[in-house]
Amino acid sequence: MIKHLLSIALIGSAGFICQSLTAQQFVTRAAEVHLLSTTPIEDIEGFNRQSSMILDASNGDIAVQVPILGFHFEKALLEEHFNENYMESEKFPKATFRGSVAGWTVMPLEGETMNVLVTGTFTVHGVEVTRDFEGQIRLESGRLIVDCTFEVRPEDHGIEIPGVVRKQIAAIITIDVSAQLSAR
Amino acid sequence: MIRQKLSAFAIAWFATFGAVQAQDLMDFFDEDSTPQNVLATFKSNRIVNVQSNETTGAGEMNFVIAHRFGRLNEGAYALWGLDNATMRIAFEYGITDRLMATIGRNTFRKTYESGLKFQLLQQQSGGGSPLGITLYSVVMADGMHWAEPDRVNYFTSRLSFAHQVILTRKMNADLSLALIPSLVHRNIVDTPDDAHDIGVLGFGFRQKISPRVSINGEYHTSSSLSLGVDIETGGHVFQLHLTNSQGMFERAFLADEQGRWQDGDIYFGFNMHRVFQLKH
Repeated sequence: MIKHLLSIALIGSAGFICQSLTAQQFVTRAAEVHLLSTTPIEDIEGFNRQSSMILDASNGDIAVQVPILGFHFEKALLEEHFNENYMESEKFPKATFRGSVAGWTVMPLEGETMNVLVTGTFTVHGVEVTRDFEGQIRLESGRLIVDCTFEVRPEDHGIEIPGVVRKQIAAIITIDVSAQLSAR
Repeated sequence: MIRQKLSAFAIAWFATFGAVQAQDLMDFFDEDSTPQNVLATFKSNRIVNVQSNETTGAGEMNFVIAHRFGRLNEGAYALWGLDNATMRIAFEYGITDRLMATIGRNTFRKTYESGLKFQLLQQQSGGGSPLGITLYSVVMADGMHWAEPDRVNYFTSRLSFAHQVILTRKMNADLSLALIPSLVHRNIVDTPDDAHDIGVLGFGFRQKISPRVSINGEYHTSSSLSLGVDIETGGHVFQLHLTNSQGMFERAFLADEQGRWQDGDIYFGFNMHRVFQLKH
């Protein structure tokens, strides 16, 4: 009887180990994206907590999707302008990234932080740009913590900022991405 | 025994794992569909004269200055109406993101007005409501001297009311439509033949022609017809239009007599909106 129980326990734990070792995809649907435009006149900040990210741990492939309407601003008017005048979020509802972590071989060890370079296609406002992003990936209690800060020039994505508001909107927007990916 | 079970488990596990890996990464996003509120069905709180579904955001004050110049058919002597103007000044305050209070004053019949607008239901993309439903109620007080000051006059004689259900749908990124049934009540009317309660049906549209410019129009069965352009410049919205309604409050364009387009009783005018953030 004891032997039997033991075998069940063994199988159970083996299955568990097996699962955590072979979980190939890490995902979230609640990645946070924060954007900041800083000018001497005003700071404009937007928060988005509805972005999705998926990382394939077998080869380092990574994909991100950001619903533009998920960005929220302190002022309702800013939010409307962001969507209507600049991002045209009804025509281009999503920003996406599809790429891979350069030189990905193995998962980071528990508690270890890896500095990574991610290369791929970054699509905003329907305009695709190939670019590199620097970021960190850390394994913490079985979850991958991804952090990345980068800059975007609206004009690189065909987003025109008219002269009358150019003093209020920075030419370079800073984006922070942070995500906690769980094994799928 | 254990070995057997383990290997069986491993096979089962790798089978699942294989299936998962075969999917493209982007497939993961197919299930993303958080409903989002549709923004900017109309560019400002009014289509031309009539209320749109939009309200001023929470803690924001929208300051409105509107003019209707004289009639085009006044001719060159009055510069096609530009020599004369009636005005409206209004403050519109967002109590919440869906509830707005307005107060306004019109030089036309020296009318004061105060209204409440509530977004009962917001149109959403991604599986939400296909339609926006907004309610607006306004009370208007005529400020003219009494026509017959010698008799007993009551303040209530100055009042009229309008109640509207504003049904809106943003059809696509550029085109928005509105259907607006209204009920107007006038406490006092000009002649015994005039009705105190009038039901009016209105139609409105907005067609964007660039991210900041759109063509707007509205028609009400009171025969009020208005066409205009919305131009948005950062914190301002300018609305320029032609209309056969001189008054800018609901009683004037929904219940009272309108000018005739075919006779040139057309008023050129503008609404100017400026938003101030009062509270964060």
